[in-house]
Amino acid sequence: MPELLKRIPELTALIVLTIVAYAIMGLFSEVHGTEVLTPFAAWAIIVGSFVISFLIAIISVLGGVGGGVIFTPIMLGFTSVDTLLVRSTGLVVAMFSGLVSSGPFMRTGLADIRLVFYCAIPIIIGAMIGSHFAISMAQNMGETGDAIVRLALGVVLVFIALMFILGGSKTEYPQLKYIDKFSQKMRLKSSYWEESLNKTIHYRATRALLGGFLFFVVGCIGGFFGLGGGWAVVPVLNLVMAVPLKVSAACSGVLLAIGNAAAIWPYIIKGALIGVFAAPWMIGQVVGGILGAHILTKIKAGFVRNILIVLLFLTSIKLIARGVETLFGINIPLV
Amino acid sequence: MTHSDPDLQETMDEGPDDKPVPPFSGIIYGDIIYWGTILATLVVIAGSIMTFVAKSSYIDPTYLLSSIWEGKSVEAIWKGAVGAQPDGHWYLSQLSNGAGLTVAGIALGVFSVIPGIIGSAVYLFKEKQFLYGSLAVIAAIITIYAVVV
Repeated sequence: MPELLKRIPELTALIVLTIVAYAIMGLFSEVHGTEVLTPFAAWAIIVGSFVISFLIAIISVLGGVGGGVIFTPIMLGFTSVDTLLVRSTGLVVAMFSGLVSSGPFMRTGLADIRLVFYCAIPIIIGAMIGSHFAISMAQNMGETGDAIVRLALGVVLVFIALMFILGGSKTEYPQLKYIDKFSQKMRLKSSYWEESLNKTIHYRATRALLGGFLFFVVGCIGGFFGLGGGWAVVPVLNLVMAVPLKVSAACSGVLLAIGNAAAIWPYIIKGALIGVFAAPWMIGQVVGGILGAHILTKIKAGFVRNILIVLLFLTSIKLIARGVETLFGINIPLV
Repeated sequence: MTHSDPDLQETMDEGPDDKPVPPFSGIIYGDIIYWGTILATLVVIAGSIMTFVAKSSYIDPTYLLSSIWEGKSVEAIWKGAVGAQPDGHWYLSQLSNGAGLTVAGIALGVFSVIPGIIGSAVYLFKEKQFLYGSLAVIAAIITIYAVVV
């Protein structure tokens, strides 16, 4: 860690600046308390959000999933924060670790720019459609819309968790047996230096057309729920398009940033992104994202998977319960 | 090792095991976004400090956080704070206060994707990767559309 901080001075500067900033905010605060929150409680929420976001960023970059898939379900399941606000902040969480990790991933060659742009178009279009639909649903359906979102997200999470379990057969370096005509024309091939093996890995993507369609669907779901799309980008790249696991995780981070960059603007324009709430989450993602990107080049990323599976199942139960409670007016006794 | 499919054989015979040099089109994309995001983070940190230490603010941060934790809707929060929910890039006219500056910082980070894509597109065309250069231009146009509409 100290070596990493020396090697990346901007990371050190950001950590120091953030600590100083939160100290100033605590010591020289001019904010007034309300019936719900004292000024100290408000400050504690900000600092706590930053710390949690920092940890989520490291886990999400290592897993290539994007922080939205952890942040959004937990906030929707366990807090009463408005669903639109959670989803807009969820997109910030999903995209900023991806944004800041784009630099290290591109410099090391772990992410391939041509693969990224090929997958980006369907993800961007899908994400924009999803986010516009989310805002229109929030404006027209009120509490019923919130309940439907929670219930649907719970079901989506069960599906994602199952996908992670069934994806256990993912290979770090998939062996190509067949390349279809379209993928041949796209010539999606590249190579990178694998530090853990001390050799160059050559790879070539296949089933590009099917991959493109799946990315559109992923974009729609990610934009609507504020999940980002990282939970599905890695499986699609690795299992469907036969891209090495580490490259899939790196491309996933970069793709999340591009896809969510389009999805987040409708939320910003409609005031659904509130700065004081989103800021610590954004700063945590940037600091944790830089750290996670540098760790990924050196380690095997598989161990994060099990933590995610447990987290996704637990959160899905709570979300489904809350959705059913609101929709049908019944009480399900869960913690 | 040989393969009956010439395309697969080509993939396996990519070349020597030297450390491959990443394409400049990727590096330029990553670097623009990386430094854009760090700049945006500095703006957000400055905005957060202003929000807490300024004697008067556009919207009181404890009111905002209280309303958010009470589960008020976005519309209700804005109505209680400034009378109406904004529509458009409201933060650009509020850069002198913490709330506006913080959202402007986040928006700057999100916006950095656009110059990143355009810079990469220029180098993809220079590297004679016309298909992927065109895809990058399309990605930039769609993202700009999202900012404007």
